[in-house]
Amino acid sequence: MAATAAAEPRRPRLRLDGGSAVRLAAGFAAGLAFWFAFSAPYERAVAAAAQAVTRLLESPTTTTLAAEKGEIRVDRADFPPDSPRPGLPAADLHFNFVMLAALFALTPKPQSGANVARFAAAAGLLFVVHVAALCMQVQSVYATSLGPWSEAHYGAVARNLWAGGFHFYQVAGRFAAPFVLWWGLSRFELGATPVKRGREERS
Amino acid sequence: MKAGAGGSDRRRSLAFLAKFAALLVVFYFLLDWRPVNDAVVVPFTAGVARVSAAVLRLLGEGTTVAGTEIRSARFAVNIENGCNGVETALLFGAAVLAFPAPWRRRLVGLAAGFVAIQAINLVRVVSLFWIGAHRPALFSSSHTVLWQSIVVLCGVLLFLAWATREQRVRAAAPAGGGREGRDKDGRDRRR
Repeated sequence: MAATAAAEPRRPRLRLDGGSAVRLAAGFAAGLAFWFAFSAPYERAVAAAAQAVTRLLESPTTTTLAAEKGEIRVDRADFPPDSPRPGLPAADLHFNFVMLAALFALTPKPQSGANVARFAAAAGLLFVVHVAALCMQVQSVYATSLGPWSEAHYGAVARNLWAGGFHFYQVAGRFAAPFVLWWGLSRFELGATPVKRGREERS
Repeated sequence: MKAGAGGSDRRRSLAFLAKFAALLVVFYFLLDWRPVNDAVVVPFTAGVARVSAAVLRLLGEGTTVAGTEIRSARFAVNIENGCNGVETALLFGAAVLAFPAPWRRRLVGLAAGFVAIQAINLVRVVSLFWIGAHRPALFSSSHTVLWQSIVVLCGVLLFLAWATREQRVRAAAPAGGGREGRDKDGRDRRR
């Protein structure tokens, strides 16, 4: 796409070359290290936020979500004391942070203050996505995995809605979310070098 | 995309994301529909298992295949949705179809991208099986975090490479005509 030269400052151009490969790999490694280091407190934060949202949907409030040993343990005040509590794998929920870090590192001038601020905003939005996904997963467990209790409390439409919503997150949403946040928030030009005075620059 | 100035650029970017999200939902429902899953996805996944097992045999692993399951004396995996490369292909396909380009080049991009994604996924399945057989402690994190992220990032890179090439072809098209710079309706697509 030919860029229209306007007063607005030109955006950095994203070139898929050796430099971008190094940036991507470095961002992936840094994101992975950060993810491994902070997964446990992050899961506690996601569980606390999802618990607060879930309790908004129920009366009386019965749900307790606790992050422990890589799982989000789902408990309800009305579960029989000796029944097993469902455990939801937490890494599946939020490992896409690593992809987000890698994509923002791929952006030209990744260390610039503006790019770091956009990455922070994207990470904040990804946290909201994780909370929403966990809420959907909890509702999906309630709606489909608790036998007669599920059938008594959730109709067919609600069961399909919650289970389908979380399945969509598992299949496509968790992979698409980092790409959408990166594409929507980052600033770069993609594609052909702009045509200047009738001549094309080689990129 | 992502070029130009001001509001029109922002609108194009948002339009791309809206189309991308809509196509993703459509593709998800299509693939999740049981007749499509049974007639297309499951046989395709069984094919992925057969090819992966053949490569593993070449590498000295004594593997056999039953449906979508690969077995050896040391390890066994069942290839499910999420491990067959279809999700990444779905993301790539939605992005290519949402991007403004002539249909012919979109279709070429889709075919080439699908093959490339499957090649990357083959490496993933083979390496994960090897890790499961020889370094089982590393299997879970390799499966969930590393390889899923790598395959999806490769899908994003393939899309960016295709989109960059598409932009270059469009920018290089002669001003007065040439099919390369026109959409399916014959309108000049260059901005």
